[in-house]
Amino acid sequence: MDATTPYRLEATGISKSYGAISALTDVEIALKPGEVMALLGENGAGKSTIVKIISGLIVPDQGTIKIDGEEVQLHTVNASQAAGIAVVQQEFSTVGTLSVAENLALGQRGAPWWWGPRKLNQAATGILARVGLDDLDPNTLVENLSVAEMQLLEIARVLARDAKIVIFDEPTAALSDREIERVLSVVKRLAAEGRSIIYVTHRLGEVFEIADQVVIFRNGRSHPPQPVGELTVDKVVTMMIGRELGDLYPDRSAGMGDVVLEAKGLKVAGLRGEVDLQLRRGEILGLTGQLGSGTTDILKAIAGTGDVAAGTIELDGTPIEVGGRRHGIAMGIAYCSPDRKKDGIFGGISIRRNLSSPWLKRVSNLGFVNAKKEADEAASSAAQFAIDRSRMQALVGNLSGGNQQKVAVGKWLGIRPRVLLVEEPTRGVDVGARAEIYAQLRQLSDSGVGVIVSSSDTNEVLGLSDTVATYYRGAQTAKKPANQWTEPELVREVMHREE
Amino acid sequence: MTTTTTPTPQGSPTVFQERAGLRRTVDTIRTSALPILIVLVFIIASITVPQFFTVETIRAILLATSVTGIIAAGMTAVTLSGNLFSLGVTASVVLSGVVYLWTGSMTGNIFFAAFAAIVTAVLVGLVQGYIVGLGLNPVVVTLGAGAIIYGATAIVTGGEVVAASSNSLGVFATFSVFGVPLPVIVLVVFTAVAWYLTEHTTIGRNLHLLGSNKNTARNSGISPMGVTIWAFLAFSVGIGVAAVLQVSQTLQVQADNFGELTMNVVAAVLVGGTAVTGGDGSPVKSVIGALFIATITQIMVLVSIPQGVRYFVLGVVVVGLVVILHLLRKASSR
Repeated sequence: MDATTPYRLEATGISKSYGAISALTDVEIALKPGEVMALLGENGAGKSTIVKIISGLIVPDQGTIKIDGEEVQLHTVNASQAAGIAVVQQEFSTVGTLSVAENLALGQRGAPWWWGPRKLNQAATGILARVGLDDLDPNTLVENLSVAEMQLLEIARVLARDAKIVIFDEPTAALSDREIERVLSVVKRLAAEGRSIIYVTHRLGEVFEIADQVVIFRNGRSHPPQPVGELTVDKVVTMMIGRELGDLYPDRSAGMGDVVLEAKGLKVAGLRGEVDLQLRRGEILGLTGQLGSGTTDILKAIAGTGDVAAGTIELDGTPIEVGGRRHGIAMGIAYCSPDRKKDGIFGGISIRRNLSSPWLKRVSNLGFVNAKKEADEAASSAAQFAIDRSRMQALVGNLSGGNQQKVAVGKWLGIRPRVLLVEEPTRGVDVGARAEIYAQLRQLSDSGVGVIVSSSDTNEVLGLSDTVATYYRGAQTAKKPANQWTEPELVREVMHREE
Repeated sequence: MTTTTTPTPQGSPTVFQERAGLRRTVDTIRTSALPILIVLVFIIASITVPQFFTVETIRAILLATSVTGIIAAGMTAVTLSGNLFSLGVTASVVLSGVVYLWTGSMTGNIFFAAFAAIVTAVLVGLVQGYIVGLGLNPVVVTLGAGAIIYGATAIVTGGEVVAASSNSLGVFATFSVFGVPLPVIVLVVFTAVAWYLTEHTTIGRNLHLLGSNKNTARNSGISPMGVTIWAFLAFSVGIGVAAVLQVSQTLQVQADNFGELTMNVVAAVLVGGTAVTGGDGSPVKSVIGALFIATITQIMVLVSIPQGVRYFVLGVVVVGLVVILHLLRKASSR
């Protein structure tokens, strides 16, 4: 690509903030036809925000976007599509009960509604061949496809729209190595056709295989684009982390005691092999891995919501039955899901009643709630998690992400937990609240509660935990005391396995 | 200890506090709008409609409210738990009414007859609650159950009118304490108990929690099946009690009676301001909704508006109010 080629997409000075929190500051992106640009960064660094801005889902506060030299307003998804931009989403947008051909026709121009199956199939075959799905019968129902085929179909849908700029948002997150190859070769082919590609990923291997340029995001700011030839894995990792483990994290464990929780030969759906796990009193165990690494499945199994096929779980040396959250709570196992809005909080309910929801029975007599006991205990939970006690009647759905997360974790104090399992403890949480949550997790651990944290944020896992175990596609790959890991090493362990 | 090294816990003030004031205003409007509206309607009707401000009219309004109100208060439990509505109200009331009149005529004991009517309603309701608890769509289940109950009642009664053997079976409707008809007293007591139970018991709380977020409820150890069954139990008790009061007034019942009851109850819950999606609401609100609907209907009866037009006007008013309430709720939550 010589220097005189005009830019296909040029975004300058893009900023976006939510209230006091800025998600993007002064981000620059410039992309030429036929180029593949990889966007890298930790969770919350700003990659998905810039993708959403370019695809018209979010309107930036500042900045200009030019396409082929002309300034455009991408304020709606339609405007973005009309400008020749297409996004291959991480989540599938296909309809399972329709055929492959019908899905390709959905929402496309050039497929009149009166076309019958034969016409649709004809149109579909050509598009499918371009994504390497030549041998797929267009009549197949989408729900019968493999994950990789669905991902390729998702790409095919975008191709049907003939876009100039194609954005891939972590297209390989849920795929196996062989399947990834298929996706990558399609991406290369698209670039060879002269399309511009923006490729968001967590996997460094892919970046070095397909990207021409790399833009690294950190704390909502972007580094200037770098040609991939001038980068090494170490350089990329350093740029992504870019900071030391600071005051954000509390001191490590003062000392570990006996074993609180032990899982032996645990076999769970989503895991490749058996998992053994040991947690000592006073220890925070950190599990980390990419999407699909299996850490979620392990915690769910211990919590009692996953399907345990084999293995035993012991609490304080006594084997416990695993079955249902109710039983898990009775055994003293607290579990915070990774998606608080979905299954961690009650948005339309007050802080107090959220906090008391798992232990209401304990402050009740014959089914009648003792309002004073409830208020007192909720207040003490709130105080411990630095939740404003004058707001106990406020609806949790109206709070900031940080306060919501404090409620989602804080509600478990009242069950007097023996083990606390926390997934993604600070996803979408501002820095101040993060520090408070870390401090509380440490304090709980010091007071004898076994704490397991699962997070895709390697910085967090390393900063908070005493022991860090990495998982990759359903199996443990390494486990060491936190002070024997360096962050680049951990990032590489998690991201770089394909080499 | 480690906590001393933490940065000062400064809760982020941000947008929350600025919006809190506005949100409170909207909330106040939302909760007080209907009572104010009812008072206004009463005042205007008293001035403009002859015969409105009389003992007979007010008595008629309250008697009508007692039946819809009691069922609506019970239905609120179902709605709160996130299970939408039961659409089999009419059929269940008729069935319980038939049981009351038959048992009463046979035994001559109105208390035993009332008990039998309530037990019948509860049994029928628990079966529906169990099926809904399995995860089936409540609208489909209760609509289907309503059809089955209606059919069964029609078969058993041969489609004939079931009449009371003596006027003594109407005592529940005619009895009054210091001039207040018994049905109105039952309504007040039933509503008060329903309110207390939903606010101050674990089951009542779990109704709110389940309706607010089923997934979180499950993760918090709340059993959707158990809570749903409790909701239908409360609803069914309301059906049984209301059925007894209703047939005590009419002293006869036929399979296709009370056709408008289901819609009136659903409208009462909606107009009262309980969220269709569950998690937010109160039996008291639903009773106020029932009072509103009974008042509007009575006024239209007094000024001799034909039935078709009455339905039309009531429908427009209900939809209008529900839309306004929905907009206010959206405004108050962000």
